[in-house]
Amino acid sequence: MAWRSRLSYFGLRHLSIFSNPSPSSWTKVVSDAEKIVGYPTSFMSLRCLLSDELSNVAMHVRKLVGTKHPLLNTARGFVYDSRNNLQMRGLVVLLMSKAAGPSSSDPIHDSMVSGIYPSQRNLAEITELIHTAFLVHRGIVNLKEWTNSDGPLKDMQFGNKMAVLSGDFLLANACTGLAQLNDTKVVELISSAIGDVVQGIYHESSGSAEEDSLTVASWEDQAFLSHGALLAKSCQAAMKLARHNTEAQNLAFQYGKHLALGHKLNSELQPFVKSGSEGAVFHLDSAPVVFHRQIVGPERWQQQLKQAQNMSRQIDYTKLRGLIKMERGVSQALDLCSYHGNKALEAMKCFPPSDARSALENMACALNKF
Amino acid sequence: MAVPWSRCWRSSTGAAVLLQYCCISSRRAFTPAASAGRKAATSAATQVLFQQGHVHSFNKPVTLSRHRCKYLYSTPRVSCSLHSDAKLKDPFSLVQKDLQNIYDDIKQQLLVSKAELKALCDYYFDGKGKAFRPMIVILMARACNVHSNKEGVLLPAQRSIAMISEMIHTASLVHDDVIDDSDKRRGKNTINNVWGERKAILAGDFILSAASMALARIGNTTVVSVLSQVIEDLVRGEFMQLGSKENENERFKHYLEKTFKKTASLIANSCKAVSILVNSDPEVHEIAYQYGRNVGIAFQLVDDILDFTSNANCLGKPSAADLKLGLATGPVLFACQQFPELHSMIMRRFSSDGDVDRAWQYVLKSDGVEQTNYLAQHYCQEAIRQISRLRPSSERDALIRLTELVLRRDK
Repeated sequence: MAWRSRLSYFGLRHLSIFSNPSPSSWTKVVSDAEKIVGYPTSFMSLRCLLSDELSNVAMHVRKLVGTKHPLLNTARGFVYDSRNNLQMRGLVVLLMSKAAGPSSSDPIHDSMVSGIYPSQRNLAEITELIHTAFLVHRGIVNLKEWTNSDGPLKDMQFGNKMAVLSGDFLLANACTGLAQLNDTKVVELISSAIGDVVQGIYHESSGSAEEDSLTVASWEDQAFLSHGALLAKSCQAAMKLARHNTEAQNLAFQYGKHLALGHKLNSELQPFVKSGSEGAVFHLDSAPVVFHRQIVGPERWQQQLKQAQNMSRQIDYTKLRGLIKMERGVSQALDLCSYHGNKALEAMKCFPPSDARSALENMACALNKF
Repeated sequence: MAVPWSRCWRSSTGAAVLLQYCCISSRRAFTPAASAGRKAATSAATQVLFQQGHVHSFNKPVTLSRHRCKYLYSTPRVSCSLHSDAKLKDPFSLVQKDLQNIYDDIKQQLLVSKAELKALCDYYFDGKGKAFRPMIVILMARACNVHSNKEGVLLPAQRSIAMISEMIHTASLVHDDVIDDSDKRRGKNTINNVWGERKAILAGDFILSAASMALARIGNTTVVSVLSQVIEDLVRGEFMQLGSKENENERFKHYLEKTFKKTASLIANSCKAVSILVNSDPEVHEIAYQYGRNVGIAFQLVDDILDFTSNANCLGKPSAADLKLGLATGPVLFACQQFPELHSMIMRRFSSDGDVDRAWQYVLKSDGVEQTNYLAQHYCQEAIRQISRLRPSSERDALIRLTELVLRRDK
């Protein structure tokens, strides 16, 4: 199944990033929300991005131009898409902080800027650093799988070196940043989120072994680890930093979790519901496909896979999409998406009405727009 | 074999800077003249050590012990007691009990549901490592506890630090092996060699997150800060290894700073953390930190020597590995003073055909190894001077003897 792993490195990488190809609704919601938190969140990790170490990497990454190392694409993303794709988690943490307001034990709250504590801003930055670190570490290439026809091995070794170092650098900055928050519970929570992300990504990269046991429940577990945990726990930690009670912490956690899961569903549904996406490829373990596989069972699924193969034994995605669309898998995935959107909205109900709350609600609503 | 000190530092601007660096970073203002006095000075305890004949790798013990300035020692009495104590236990046996289940305890911290990822994370915690860091940390903890009137006690949090130090160390090894593209470590295949680079990096990240959680659970924000600094230092050290300096002075400074960040910071800050947990006196923290820092640098200097002198089987990794990676370590930097031909090879990171072999020959022809060893001794003496400021205890004395083991180790 080598084609499958290769695909996950290159072809479909953009899907695993918090990207959304429906600019009309999502981008507007996000750019409106950015105004509420005081400054564009894309500037958050600037301190880190401008450090000597990363300029060093940037210099070296230029050597990778023309090679196939995934680090190149990830780095390109920092420059072109940073506003809409990469800083989402930080923005949600800031909005959540603002929506929850000042701590009851802090009547004066004069340390807040635009209704957000400095520690919460730092946390938002840390969340982004961690997320970005794993975008980079996800793009490490297994050298033994590399064949000479793919290009010189030396380029890949070098690309790996840069990817390991820059990812580690971002993680190390996240660690020192966490320490400066002076709250060991928050350190523990966010560290556990790092562990969750690792487990989620590890699953992505091990793949095929458990393909037969792929169920919607296991899809949700995996999606929570790889996409939900960091956002959920960061939202919870933002409440903790402002000393809000455990109920508020739990609601924030729920919002983060459901928003992230809904967002992943939304991304994975795009190739099936969006007009103009006829030629798009999709993951065979994306939610609509998983629903479909559960409906038709493993045997018929294998038949359909064969049916969709062309002469050179490659999958014709247009054909496969047609087969999948004939069953209820896509509509079930749509239902699940709106379920998570509603759950996220529900979690926000207990927060007092504000611009920040509305922005978070708008984001949850945007999950169901395609 | 006794070479006068002056020769070791002859004419070399690099070495002068280097000595200055040692002095500055030990945060003591002293002039070259004063340092000259101190160079010769070690505690009587070391004198004993050096004279007892464990001079396997010491080249100049006699010269060293000749001009001792006793006034520098606050506790000469202690040194005497060390001398007369015939039943000295070795550092390993002293902490054996504390470290008994340390690898099992580490594995318990690595909570993973997926069996394969669990196997990767546990891979190096097989009990075959030296547990050098946990040993120092436990000895330091107990020495600080005695100093703080808590004899015979080891706080659970202090033992956690020992565990965490080994976890951080291992996580960094796993990543280093990917960066250096190594296929063997401690005689085993590396994780990247068996499971591929992607999974190796994730396993390293996971061990780090587990270490960070264990650290947070101690519940002390200062301790969290101190050990988070280590993680940053490790990465910065790795970045420093990417570049080489044109200028000889800078090169030595760069090398020692890199050595501190990549190796000594973990030991220094772990020692500091265990002292913080039992004592609020910043001076005690500083002693613990400085001991760890100096021993850590010495440890790495010896490691760099072994890359030239040890055979492949002994070290569990191929020799001249550093040269092959393009790294100019202590022995090469010293050799470059004798054989300026090395300069251009250093600058091109031994990348031309035959560079590694030629550089290897130059180093063996020079006294680079000897001088690096001497520098390591210097750091060990400073470590001893620092730790001697603590109240006497068998653990403190073990830390003193440990410096000797660091210098004498052959693997």
